Amino acid sequence: MKARAEKSYAADHLIGFLLAIGYLVILVKTAHGIGYARDEGFYFRAASAYADWFERLMTDWKAATQQAVVDGYWSNNHEHPGLVKMLFGLSWHYLHRKVPLFAEEGTSFRFGGMCFAAASLWLIHIWGARARSRSAGLVAALAFALMPRIFYHAHLDCFDVPIAFMWTFCAYAYWRSLARPGLKWAIVTGVAFGLALDTKHNSWFLPPAFVVHTLLSRGASFGRGLGRGQIRVPLSLVAMATLGPLVFFAAWPWIWFDTIDRLNGYASFHLHHDYYNIVYLGQTYWKPPMPRSYVWVMTAATVPTITLVLFVTGMASRLRAHAGRLFSKSAKRPFDPGSTDLLWAIGIGIQYAPWILSTSTPIFGGTKHWFTAYPFLCLFAGAGFEVVFERVRELLRTSRLSVLPGWALETLLGFAVLSAPLAETIHSHPWGLSNYTPLVGGAPGAASLGLNRQFWGFTTGAVTDWLNEHATLGRSVFIHDTAYDSWEMLRRDGRLAPHVQAAGPYVQGSSIALYQHEEHMETIEYQIWTVYGTASPAYVGAYDGVPIIYVYEQAPK
Amino acid sequence: MTLSAERAPAAYETKAPLVGVGARAAIRFWPLLVPLVGLVELGAQIYDSHKAPTAQQWSDVRSLVESLRAPGSVVVIAPYWAEPMARWKFGAASMPLRDVARADATRYPKALEVSFLGKRSPELAGWSLEQEKRSGPFTLRVLANPAAPSVTYDFVDHLDATSADVLIESGADAKACTFTSPAAIEGGGLGGPPIYPASRFVCEGQPSHVSVGVTIIDDEQARPRRCIWSHPPAAGELVTRMRGVPLGAEIRGHAGMGWLIERDRTGPPFTIRVLVSGREIGRAVHVDGDFWKPFSIPLGAFARQTADVEFRVSAERGGTHVCFEADSR
Repeated sequence: MKARAEKSYAADHLIGFLLAIGYLVILVKTAHGIGYARDEGFYFRAASAYADWFERLMTDWKAATQQAVVDGYWSNNHEHPGLVKMLFGLSWHYLHRKVPLFAEEGTSFRFGGMCFAAASLWLIHIWGARARSRSAGLVAALAFALMPRIFYHAHLDCFDVPIAFMWTFCAYAYWRSLARPGLKWAIVTGVAFGLALDTKHNSWFLPPAFVVHTLLSRGASFGRGLGRGQIRVPLSLVAMATLGPLVFFAAWPWIWFDTIDRLNGYASFHLHHDYYNIVYLGQTYWKPPMPRSYVWVMTAATVPTITLVLFVTGMASRLRAHAGRLFSKSAKRPFDPGSTDLLWAIGIGIQYAPWILSTSTPIFGGTKHWFTAYPFLCLFAGAGFEVVFERVRELLRTSRLSVLPGWALETLLGFAVLSAPLAETIHSHPWGLSNYTPLVGGAPGAASLGLNRQFWGFTTGAVTDWLNEHATLGRSVFIHDTAYDSWEMLRRDGRLAPHVQAAGPYVQGSSIALYQHEEHMETIEYQIWTVYGTASPAYVGAYDGVPIIYVYEQAPK
Repeated sequence: MTLSAERAPAAYETKAPLVGVGARAAIRFWPLLVPLVGLVELGAQIYDSHKAPTAQQWSDVRSLVESLRAPGSVVVIAPYWAEPMARWKFGAASMPLRDVARADATRYPKALEVSFLGKRSPELAGWSLEQEKRSGPFTLRVLANPAAPSVTYDFVDHLDATSADVLIESGADAKACTFTSPAAIEGGGLGGPPIYPASRFVCEGQPSHVSVGVTIIDDEQARPRRCIWSHPPAAGELVTRMRGVPLGAEIRGHAGMGWLIERDRTGPPFTIRVLVSGREIGRAVHVDGDFWKPFSIPLGAFARQTADVEFRVSAERGGTHVCFEADSR
């Protein structure tokens, strides 16, 4: 039994690996179409500084670890931990500067982020396969890969997909540690927690999630232990409390000095973050109270509906199974020391809680701030697929279709539930953030509902051909919401011709102006009209008929 | 963890009889609904991605728009979010800046509504249908304003040296502002003021925002509103005087600060006093949060006369953003 199980997981690891490689190749091949988002520009700069520091560390580690030197490199973008930016930088350093593996420099930075996305598929698959079945793992991983918003963010040198991976990996390690009490998985959990801390502040939710899980799943044994004067804390939690901070500290040179002050500054930045503007159902929100319905509606509007249906099916079937055991004395309890369903449910609930419980949690960033819930959502969706498959097979048992082999039925069902997510994901590229599911009528329906069409100014990537043709020498471009470093990367990549120059931060002085539509920024478009004397764009980049980015041209004087 | 290896999950799940036999029979086929939902979503995705007009379809309908649009009428797009496509493909001849950034639609005798997906413009609710044509995904409707006014004078259209004077009055002091074209274009930016345009009255000795020129602000729905920028000075009134205005029965207008500025409601109120031939006939008081607020001032004995009209703008605490538009009808 054991040997068969190990063999089975080896095959699943192979499947996970192939999924990861396949996704990575697709991401690399499609990266060109997506323009650079605002935050990517900031991280390009930081990542290249960290890579330079790393190179210095390799040549003169004593000097490189002096405070003045560390601060010189690591003060850049210190409001976020350094690990992932460091990986972006190393990817750029080794795969572009040293070995020109990528044609475009920007892709070499992004490659670090893409690896996290690819690894997520592997991780989700293996977890789904171990906890439920191979097909459940496969559907879960593909459902994750085929969320249009995930697909967009998976391309970027940003933290949202990396933290989704790190969060899930830490949860997975914790889950394994519960099944195999011992040092190995406890240490992995502790290290993973430290790396998650070094990725993004969503990681702060990991300890409460696991404590709640431990209390709920082992409350009774805790109680008995307390009665005997013994407290049995899972070793993984101990490792998180000890190894986690050490790894966090070690992997972020910025906090090697003035540690308390800098940690305070880091925490304070995120606990008192500015409220950016975001439109929701026709109303722009820029200060609390934020709408409590935001997470629900935006999840429903951006995650393929069939994935949500599978999730609900999976969740309901698991609830039903647990309820059945509660009310039936004869029911057999499965061997599940990791209390898998509970952990997955907590993995979702704790990510959504900040928006459900508080109207002060910022809602800018669209859906990316709760991406950490999606691997768990997909794992339940995988479980849902498994249930549907079993029930359909049962239904067909007495019909003529009973001759259909199980694998063929599974494939047909897989096609039925993954074809829409696949079509939506393919179609979303390269507009990503402008994509909405048919539940809200796609992009046109979302525009009518007053949902956000984009943010971060990345859609400049959609008008580079027009700019290369029309922004002749001496005709500078007002780049609106595109960060200067993001714009420059388009030029370094060669996507923008050398003669295409950015103008200053105001419309006046430019000859061509970009406007990336966001409701609260309409005033910028009107400034363009006033300066240029026209309300007629020279070009509009549209997605499914919905105008996303407009280009204005000033008539020659 | 060897859940699936030790026992297939389906095998150990308890199937407790939670529903009655009849109900169970009725929902027997629910599992088939799940893949069906997937296939329906696939079909809906294909439909949604093609339901709004393409750039080519906007181009194709241009000639019909030009033939149906009567002089002096306004082209309105429904749904509003598609308007940039129309501005791009129809061009300034059918959709000039003046119309696109209109104060409202009430001054137009007719409108050409270009709609698709069955949408209608709320701005034109109650207008009577004169003609309707279909072309591709579009429905074009010629609509008549049931209460079309006769606009005798549009103050925004006449803000130049030939028709207007601008001065700052503080107590007994009066200092004229000079119409300058081209002036340095200033202002702008997200969260900043609107653009101080290239043709405007510049007031010497005052900061550049204390000037008078035609600009565009955003209203509370982020719609564009073309108006006369008229930021008052720290002390006194900013006076815009229009000479020899053929008056109707009233002066109608709107005033605002710009939504992005006004939404925090931290600015002081402002007042626009309206004078005809030196006599105050009314005033519009604007408090933060009023946004793009209409005003209407009857002309009384001045109705249908020709006279000078003054807009005197002032505000407490050193002024605030002020932009207004007005006509006489």
